[in-house]
Amino acid sequence: MIKFFKKEFRKHLFDYLLLLTAGIFFILSLNLFQGERFLEFIILLAFVSFYIVWGTYHHLAIDKFHFKIVLEYIMIGFILLFLLKIIILP
Amino acid sequence: MNFSRIKNFFHHLFIPKEENNFRSKLLHFDFLTYYLLIALFFTFLFKKTPLYNILGYATDITIQKLYELTNYERQKYNLPPLNYNEKLSAAAYQKALDMFNKNYWAHFGPNGETPWRFILNSGYQYEYAGENLAKNFLFSQNVVSAWMNSPTHRENILRKEYTDIGLAVVNGSLNGEPTTLVVQMFGKPQENVFALNPIKTQPVIAKEEKNLKPNNIQSNKPQILAKNEKQKKISINSFLFNFNLGFILLLIITLILDFYFANKMGVLNLRFTGKNLAHLIFLGFIMISLFIISRGSII
Repeated sequence: MIKFFKKEFRKHLFDYLLLLTAGIFFILSLNLFQGERFLEFIILLAFVSFYIVWGTYHHLAIDKFHFKIVLEYIMIGFILLFLLKIIILP
Repeated sequence: MNFSRIKNFFHHLFIPKEENNFRSKLLHFDFLTYYLLIALFFTFLFKKTPLYNILGYATDITIQKLYELTNYERQKYNLPPLNYNEKLSAAAYQKALDMFNKNYWAHFGPNGETPWRFILNSGYQYEYAGENLAKNFLFSQNVVSAWMNSPTHRENILRKEYTDIGLAVVNGSLNGEPTTLVVQMFGKPQENVFALNPIKTQPVIAKEEKNLKPNNIQSNKPQILAKNEKQKKISINSFLFNFNLGFILLLIITLILDFYFANKMGVLNLRFTGKNLAHLIFLGFIMISLFIISRGSII
């Protein structure tokens, strides 16, 4: 399985590096503004939005675009956004 | 028979097969919709009902726990435990109220209010005094750990001259955001209150102070938790933290199983679904962020 993950990662190296970079910036920004609840929420919202855009872009780039796929990214993104929002901004 | 049915049920939920259109049922749209509805339900439940006010906002931060953890840290270094002092606690409470009322997050107020003014106003005549501040933490343990990881706050906690401690955990609105402030005050009383020119030390001042814009204070009535108050309240923060962590782990496990079996069956590239690897990376970052947001900031 790891082998397949590696293969997938190498196949779309730029896309996954982009996602990882965004994730690292997300974590660093959260660390920087620790305790600032509103800013934490904005950073989370930005990362979730990026993730949805990334999903759309990636599937367009590999010619496997479908509305259902975008909806999957939107739903996963928003489920976690709402769940974390309860803790950040109750 | 029953065992077989249970096994099939779990197979249906986690493992891709023909019956679930070669995608783990837990990742299907109907299930994702349920998760979204549950998340929205929780959001509105905690927003619209006064549940937080009834049960307490910072339910996992208690004065009792902070007091025990502080003394535990001192005991590790063979230092005598600090005595809980009501006057210092009253000073800590007044300091927190002052921060909410004047909308600042610093050791010194916008009009030059010093931390020791609150101590003296409470009737505590000190020889040595110190102050640690924290905001927006979810758990008592994280507050004390953050202080111990900061050299200046750690020095305050481990200072051998101190004999007394006062604590306040107060909820309110700071700069328009719901905030939980923790104020920890240390002191050593003057041995002779009539002594002239007592030696007084200044409270710890952190390197990164942030003065917030004044005004626009929402009138959330702050509350203080008494030292000996037992934690009867339901621990909402703990529940939410564990619920979120459990949910993220469930999704991660499901995505891994789905990926593994779909790959084994050779249907991975035939399905029109999102990329499991991308979802796993996203969930990994979200899980790390959950731990970060459970920690607030200290000065």
